[in-house]
Amino acid sequence: QDRVITGLVTDGVSGSGIPGVSILLKNSARGVTSDASGNFKIAVADENGVLVFSSVGYTTQQVSINSRSIINIALSPDTKSLDEVVVVGYGTQKKANVTGSMANFNAKDLDQRPVARVDQALIGQLAGVSVKQTSGTPGKGFSVQVRGSGSISASNEPLYVIDGFPLETSGQNASGGFSTGNPLDNLNPNDIENIQVLKDASSAAIYGSRAANGVVLITTKKGQDSKAKISLNVYSGITKATRMLDMLNAEEWIDRATEMINAQWVASGTGRTASQTTAERRAILKLAGTAVNTSLMLDDRWTQEGHPGLTYIDWQKEAFRTGMVKNYQLSASGGNANVKYYVSGNLLNQDGTTLNTFYKNYSARANVEVKANEKLKFGINLAPSYSEANDPGIEGKDAIIHIVAGMTPVQEANAGLDANTGAFPSYAWSVSRNSPIRQLENNVGLTKNFRTLFSTYVDYELLKGLTFRSSINFDNTDASTKRYSPDWVNGSQTARLNTPGISTSGSFSTLRKQTIVNENTLSYNTTIAKDHDLSTVIGYAYNLTKLATSTMSSAGGFNSSTITTLNAAASVTGNTNETQNVLLSYFGRVQYGFKGKYLLSASLRRDGSSRFGDNNKWGLFPSASVGWRLSEEDFMKNVSAVSELKLRASWGQAGNYNIGDYSSIATLGFANYTFGAAQVGGQSPNRISNPDLTWEKSQTIDVGVDVGFLKNRFTAAFDYYTKKNTDLLLNVPVPLATGFATSLTNIGEVLNQGWEFELTSRNINQGAFQWTTSVNLSHNENKVVHLAPGDAQIYIPSSFDIPHSVLKVGDPMYAFYVVKMTGILSQADIDNKVALYGTQTAGDPKYFDANNDGKIDANDRVYAGKPNPDLIYGITNTLKYKGFDLSVLVQGQTGGSVYSLFGRAVDRTGQGYTDNALGIYRNRWRSAENPGEGLRGKAYSTFGRIKNTDWLWSSDYWRIRNITVGYDLGKIVSKKYLQGARIYATAENWFGADQYKGGWNPDAINTNLSGDASFPQGGDYGGLPLARSIIFGVNLTF
Amino acid sequence: CTDELDQKPISSATTLTFYQSNNDFLQGINSVYASLSGYPDRQLNLSETRSDNLYAVSDGGVRDWEGVNSFHPTLATNPYISEAWSANYSGIFKANTFLDQLAKNGAVITDATLKPRFEAEARYLRAMYYFDLVRWFGKVPLIDKVVSQNEALAIPRSSVADVYKLIISDLQFATQNLPATYTTANVGRATNNAAKSLLALVYMTRSGATYNIEGAGLGVNEWALAYSLLNEVISSGKYSLLPTYPSIFSYTNENNAEVIFDVQFISGGLGLGTTFPVVLAPDTYFTANGLPNQTLTIRPISNDLLNSYATADTRRAFSILSGYTNNGVQETRSFFKKYIDLTKYGKSRTDWPINFITMRYADVLMMKAECILQGGGGTQDEAVTIVNSIRKRAGLGNITSLTLPQLMEERRKEFAGEGTRWHDLVRSGLVEKTITAWIPVEDVLKQMKAFKTDYILYPIPQSELDVKSGLYTQNNGY
Repeated sequence: QDRVITGLVTDGVSGSGIPGVSILLKNSARGVTSDASGNFKIAVADENGVLVFSSVGYTTQQVSINSRSIINIALSPDTKSLDEVVVVGYGTQKKANVTGSMANFNAKDLDQRPVARVDQALIGQLAGVSVKQTSGTPGKGFSVQVRGSGSISASNEPLYVIDGFPLETSGQNASGGFSTGNPLDNLNPNDIENIQVLKDASSAAIYGSRAANGVVLITTKKGQDSKAKISLNVYSGITKATRMLDMLNAEEWIDRATEMINAQWVASGTGRTASQTTAERRAILKLAGTAVNTSLMLDDRWTQEGHPGLTYIDWQKEAFRTGMVKNYQLSASGGNANVKYYVSGNLLNQDGTTLNTFYKNYSARANVEVKANEKLKFGINLAPSYSEANDPGIEGKDAIIHIVAGMTPVQEANAGLDANTGAFPSYAWSVSRNSPIRQLENNVGLTKNFRTLFSTYVDYELLKGLTFRSSINFDNTDASTKRYSPDWVNGSQTARLNTPGISTSGSFSTLRKQTIVNENTLSYNTTIAKDHDLSTVIGYAYNLTKLATSTMSSAGGFNSSTITTLNAAASVTGNTNETQNVLLSYFGRVQYGFKGKYLLSASLRRDGSSRFGDNNKWGLFPSASVGWRLSEEDFMKNVSAVSELKLRASWGQAGNYNIGDYSSIATLGFANYTFGAAQVGGQSPNRISNPDLTWEKSQTIDVGVDVGFLKNRFTAAFDYYTKKNTDLLLNVPVPLATGFATSLTNIGEVLNQGWEFELTSRNINQGAFQWTTSVNLSHNENKVVHLAPGDAQIYIPSSFDIPHSVLKVGDPMYAFYVVKMTGILSQADIDNKVALYGTQTAGDPKYFDANNDGKIDANDRVYAGKPNPDLIYGITNTLKYKGFDLSVLVQGQTGGSVYSLFGRAVDRTGQGYTDNALGIYRNRWRSAENPGEGLRGKAYSTFGRIKNTDWLWSSDYWRIRNITVGYDLGKIVSKKYLQGARIYATAENWFGADQYKGGWNPDAINTNLSGDASFPQGGDYGGLPLARSIIFGVNLTF
Repeated sequence: CTDELDQKPISSATTLTFYQSNNDFLQGINSVYASLSGYPDRQLNLSETRSDNLYAVSDGGVRDWEGVNSFHPTLATNPYISEAWSANYSGIFKANTFLDQLAKNGAVITDATLKPRFEAEARYLRAMYYFDLVRWFGKVPLIDKVVSQNEALAIPRSSVADVYKLIISDLQFATQNLPATYTTANVGRATNNAAKSLLALVYMTRSGATYNIEGAGLGVNEWALAYSLLNEVISSGKYSLLPTYPSIFSYTNENNAEVIFDVQFISGGLGLGTTFPVVLAPDTYFTANGLPNQTLTIRPISNDLLNSYATADTRRAFSILSGYTNNGVQETRSFFKKYIDLTKYGKSRTDWPINFITMRYADVLMMKAECILQGGGGTQDEAVTIVNSIRKRAGLGNITSLTLPQLMEERRKEFAGEGTRWHDLVRSGLVEKTITAWIPVEDVLKQMKAFKTDYILYPIPQSELDVKSGLYTQNNGY
């Protein structure tokens, strides 16, 4: 006969209920958890049994039942958190003993946020970790940087390690994508238990040649020794664009077009005046019948009542829509003494905020661990996933959203959104672009990605404390991308009618990436004479990554108007490419602690990589750190307010090996030619060999302090670091007379210095009301210290006009150097012979003559800003009251700039009238009497254009990334049916502001600005706004 | 196990594994030709566009050609100019690599006639690349072997005379070691007559006016050397004037009797087509004719050139299109349509199949006439006869006397849109007078800068000056 015991678990200090306490009947499989108020109810058979109460942050207590039916208990906070362990490279460590700099993100609640990717979840959570959403299309990878960017040309993305499996690193390319896939692709955020970021070299250096950009350790959920817990989480909601770009509306466009056409007309010959009518102008130009010259003549309908035959279109309004997101996750976890399991299935379905964009991810995971006997354990983690993402080609130069912004807002009424598609021609006064809406609807850019992550391991305890572990890990990605754009949304009307199919284009590309990692470690943990804690690990790892890509593209159009596959192409060109690399590693670490007071850790790794030159295949990566827990000293024991005080210092060296697989070898490229009207093969060296080529080295010195006050009610950590990247893999400009523009050399030095501050405060912890605030702040300064011998500055080549970025000793990397726009030229300025660019006249912008030589040219470029922010921050507030909970995450950055080449499309001096212009032109200079705001000059200007501060915008922003309100239904629904039930509503990204008026997203990267692989510089040339969403969800546990 | 660290590229060869057979060397020399692919566009962008043949000064400040046409002093960062420097040096690097490897591993070539031919082909091409450089930039760094980065950092710009020395020695070797003809499968390789014609042009250019700049003209008076080389080419009997002007440029009549050397292209989406037929033509012309966009906006032909054609001149109608309507919008300006055959559009806008003739027989004849006028030999009557043969084909009547400006004016129309105009003006010593007189008449939009003789040369690309301060000095005027 079971008896039911009820009770309340409270915090021994504050007296408030503790939710989520595990209550186990000792020596049985029975267990329950306390509800949101701390109440519990457990059925026991034995009235003399013992209940075990445990909860993270509290000391575990055992209580004998002694025939009682009500047991109220107060748990004392575990101020030392001694047993809390954190994941480190190749092992775990007591949190109290950590001497390196790490940041931890408890990801358990991620399943209640509409977060499609793991990287997205990291935004604003960790000091020193900057996460940028560089694309607004669903499913795309984010850019993650730990402690600034230290590499000029190699990747700045961290190494990701998932359950001990180091995934192949991959850098974001200058077009904002990850050409060989992002390590976090397809990973289901709902399966993540915890994310740990190793920031300093002492914690990261055990990952050697891949650790220079930090290491992100991801731990997935595991089964516990308890009865099965089945959990269903369902959420659904809507998404919208955070904002629109302020462009001129149709009336304003007509106003500007009229002004410009009239000005051109007047300038085009003597005796021509703006007041001449269209008919008069036609006569003067000797044009026949109804012919028009749109540079010199107006459309009479503009000024007619109701503009008959014309329609006004807000193209942005047509391109954007309300998207939706749905997610279903079912998981089961549990186990017994011998087998523990976590099994989950997840379906995410997301429709983007622009037409025809979506991301779907189907994923499953099984983490199973089997204890064969007291010494032997086996485990297997298996995570297959399949995703589909459609991107019709939205972001970047000449892509759809660029055209949406620039498209003429006045069109013929009969064509409307069909402008210049199908049988409709362009409106004569419009840009000749095809309707971006029809392109958006009909273009295909479908990426299908089937990825399997598989790990299996065996643990064998050779002796007490001495464990051997071997694992085999396999990551297989098979992705394909199909692109298709039909004829009828391309080309000109005449082409569509006369040569149908010629403008249809299609391609199909595939990517297979395979990483195989075998790791073998021997670890030994012991305590000698009570006071000496020793923990060591040594190991060997083998790492092989193979990449095979193929691409096929149509050439010369399609022969069918309905078939979208390449069998219908007029002809097909294609190729395949394969590369692989091998990394061999030996590594070891010793951690020593004396009385939990004096802590010491040292590690060493030796990596050999096939990527590097024959003379430098192997490298050594040492690190060391010390810690002193003052709070354990006798003299501190009396200071009761201080519950934790630890000083840390560390030094270490890590590497960056992201330079491509064969960069040290002089390879030959194909340079074919034609003789006798037939192709002949040609090959010549496309690189000079560099047998000395080796990794970038990154040395970090970090000092930090961890403090806790009032029994850890307030905890804080502060770190100061300097990170010196040397032997940079720099494409040093060399005289082109060598045959090459640059040569990849280990040279140059970049310094990142900064501080990080993390604070967690339990502001209120009284009874039913709890309020916790977490703050993280980080500041980073980045500076080029050395470049090639002589330290000559390097102008970053630009695909668009003169360079606007420079690598210069003493300046931040990729600092912006442009001409300064200082106002608008007046006639007095011209008469006073101020410096001019080209044939400037009154009403044109005025520029700063930096070198004072009386003329404006490229030599007047001055430092104007830098891409990286000075300060990034995230603040999370969590409030709980009875069954309700509320959390708010605010995140932002200040101090950085964006130089937007998108300005070239919508904001350039001398821009023609057809392209629409930014709203800032509303208040342009119109005449000396009507000078506008002084930000933009007159519409009709012919002096040309030089890169200047017009396109420089602050990248500062703040966003309320997340607001979640939840309610625990535990009080309403009987425990008989449900262990737990919670409903919640989340607003993601709903509020915020930025200062970027020249585009939609200050973090956007979608266009390769340098066009030069040596100096990858991505920038914004039309990137989507971020999505904001409101979702509702329910979380049921059985 | 550490052997695994020696990974060899799977999808490309390496210098260690290449140059081991006839075929490897064949591929090596072919790659040197491949650097010619940018040559046609470059002549149009830097010679035709610089000259009085085009008035393409303004298009809202976005086009790279605007500063070229209107003599902006800020051209050092212009992409056309960097391309000229980088593509030619890339070709020179390939030639030098090939010659180095030939010296080292040439023994593997089993065909005894092939090795000297290979060397001569490489040296012909190297000379052509250096000659292109010296005409654009004047003094350039002289590199005749593969050099390391550090070596290159110690090589300043050589004197123009030294650059010519290498060009001439390369071409002299080529004239002696290149065959007169090739099998059908090899048509397009350099012949001895191609080398002789180019060498003649080199001598003539060297002999041209100096303008007191360190430019391509040295005033050395080698007209006679050129004259005799040109006579050799003419007397070889391998070439003749085609009966009609259009047939020279016909897509179905490539490698015809007028072609001495050309850059070869084919279409088919192989990456071996070209854009030069359309670079000077406006995009709307193609859309009006039902083709995808080919280019950018129009680079209008100058009124000066349009007005210079005699009414009877049949070359104008073939070379130039005046006016068309696209989508109801009338384009009244004219452009070069000489190389465009809308039915021969390839797989894409970069896939036009027609060859670009860099040296044709009419040019050789008129160069000879020029040598005569410059006192290099022959008689005035011979020169008049030559020009009359050209005029006859164009539907024009005979002339009885000939001055240098008249010859250049005739060349202007014969080679209109072929990228020779600027070089002709510079060589003949007429550039300053011609351009200075032209600008005020043509420039109704008042966009052009006053002409200076410094503008005969282009600036060294800024990126090259930035590599190492003081290694190269910028040309005057920039």
